[in-house]
Amino acid sequence: MTEAVLVTGAGGVGKTTVSAAIGVSLARAGLRTLVLTVDPARRLASALGLGDELGSEPFPHPDEPNLWAAMLDSTQSWRSVAIRHADPDVAARLVNNEFFLAASQHFPASQSYAAADQAATFVEAGAWDVVVVDTPPSAGGIDFFTAPADMADLVGGRLLRWLTGGPLPGRRFFYRTAAKPVLRIADSVLGSNLLERVAEFLLDLRTTYDGVADRGRQIEALLSRAKTLVVTTADPAPITEAARFYRDLPEVGSVPAAVIFNRSLPQEWIGFEPPDDTDTKLVENLARWASESLRQSDARAEFGAVHKAVVATIPWVAEPPTDLDGLAGLLAETEELTARSLKLEPKRKMGA
Amino acid sequence: MLDKRLLVVSAQGGVGKSAVSAGLAQLATRQGKRVLVIDMGESAGLAAHLGVRDLVFDPIEVRPDLHAMRLIRSDSLIEYLTLQLSLKGLNRFSRVARAFDALATAAPAVREIISIGKVLWEVRERKWDLVIADAPPTGQIGSYLRAPRSISELVPTGRIERQAAWMGETLRDPDSTEMVIVSLAEELPTTETRQTLAWLETNELVPEPMVITNRVVPELATAAKGRGPVRDAAIHHRSVYVEQQKWLSELPPHVELPYLFGLLTPTEVAARLSDALEESL
Repeated sequence: MTEAVLVTGAGGVGKTTVSAAIGVSLARAGLRTLVLTVDPARRLASALGLGDELGSEPFPHPDEPNLWAAMLDSTQSWRSVAIRHADPDVAARLVNNEFFLAASQHFPASQSYAAADQAATFVEAGAWDVVVVDTPPSAGGIDFFTAPADMADLVGGRLLRWLTGGPLPGRRFFYRTAAKPVLRIADSVLGSNLLERVAEFLLDLRTTYDGVADRGRQIEALLSRAKTLVVTTADPAPITEAARFYRDLPEVGSVPAAVIFNRSLPQEWIGFEPPDDTDTKLVENLARWASESLRQSDARAEFGAVHKAVVATIPWVAEPPTDLDGLAGLLAETEELTARSLKLEPKRKMGA
Repeated sequence: MLDKRLLVVSAQGGVGKSAVSAGLAQLATRQGKRVLVIDMGESAGLAAHLGVRDLVFDPIEVRPDLHAMRLIRSDSLIEYLTLQLSLKGLNRFSRVARAFDALATAAPAVREIISIGKVLWEVRERKWDLVIADAPPTGQIGSYLRAPRSISELVPTGRIERQAAWMGETLRDPDSTEMVIVSLAEELPTTETRQTLAWLETNELVPEPMVITNRVVPELATAAKGRGPVRDAAIHHRSVYVEQQKWLSELPPHVELPYLFGLLTPTEVAARLSDALEESL
């Protein structure tokens, strides 16, 4: 069975680089590994063996036999939902609808849904031992995990029910309801038949419900089995986001396998006494960075205690790594993220 | 900049937007202004930097002359419908409010106009000398600033359209509005800031923005000598400094705020930033 490793966390903490590093180290541990990456910097993409044409098809790395990489593309998400799950004529009407783009922008879960759908497809393919998924930054908190249900809820008529205030309506029912004073008020404020146009769109969207709901259940089952890693730095904003994962993830039947504190400063700086003849400026400099290191170390200890979390650290490096050895080197000292610690084993070849 | 009526503070996530908003609010209060600071997002950041547990839709006075509120869209909508349409007895479960909420998800610009409209309403009411919006991140700010124009395109007549017109004018007026973009001297925030600046210049929705770069380290005016941690920390500082200077040179003229080392509470961070802002503005 293919295992999924989901790498989550706030934006800007180095999630994409950490995902790549985990992918490389698992590949080097002998697991056939696919890294699904979101918007990598050019140099990181080339380190993963992806050229200028970043494709959504897995591409085998030219220098690393067990490593594949592909891009997650969430921009076409609503379009693909319409095309896959609606009748052709309805789909054509949907993708040309003026509200279609607006709804997809307002509903970031649709991007998470598309990303989760693609990730699930690769896991189901069974061609790899492990699929490492760099989750899209648009997903706040556990959006990535609730996206399938949220998406089904949206197309299933939640908005439509709200719009009409009643049970799920049919097309004719809506026109009767639309004549009601309450909706006329809304239209008078907005100054046109906007409400009616939105309802038309929602009625079309609703025809995708069965397809989206079925697929959503498959994706959810897969996400709840995945190993989730939460990446953060020791800064307050990403820590708050990481804490949200630990608080909310159990609600969807999953528990993070570890929290990863990226860009950690050396602990031996804390409390180090410089020789007496040291330049004052250098003493002050060490003192301020030691206070940073202490703050980071306190933040890690507190997080581990409060959330009963496995805490992994990745050291601060001057330049983000841009080759395979550099990526693998990031995790050289991080015992908590080895294939063995993550309980990932190479698959035995069947009948080979 | 504190002589404007409205500051719209945006940034990529995690760069210290709420801390800078709180610092600006404290500075303006110290200069004798009556200030309202509005959290337009969902995070607890602004409340923490102001030293309160939580913010609600009704403004609270967190210290003399410094008032703070959280923009809650459903409350804002009900206030709008009540004030504008003289509809009494609305609550968030009423059918009108729910119908609007549905609309706000599906129709472009409706939810943004409800949020930015509340902020601009507070500016227009003139109860405050200065309104500071701790605004949505740069990835979303465009759709908020553009909301008045989008509404005019979507619904050519009606009450919302008429209000959209003055909202757009207030945002564009350089005597009223200053846009502030908070950034860091790192690759991703710098790239995003530059993209945002280019977008704003093309769309002409607000006057030319001010950029504030947070967490800038000073130069270490000595060579990295010695051994062990002394030398390592100096090399570390040097590499951070060099990297930051590279990204700072990619930005237009901007205000720099210092990196705050060590363990500080959110209120201490806001107070220090407020002092630093006073020196540099």
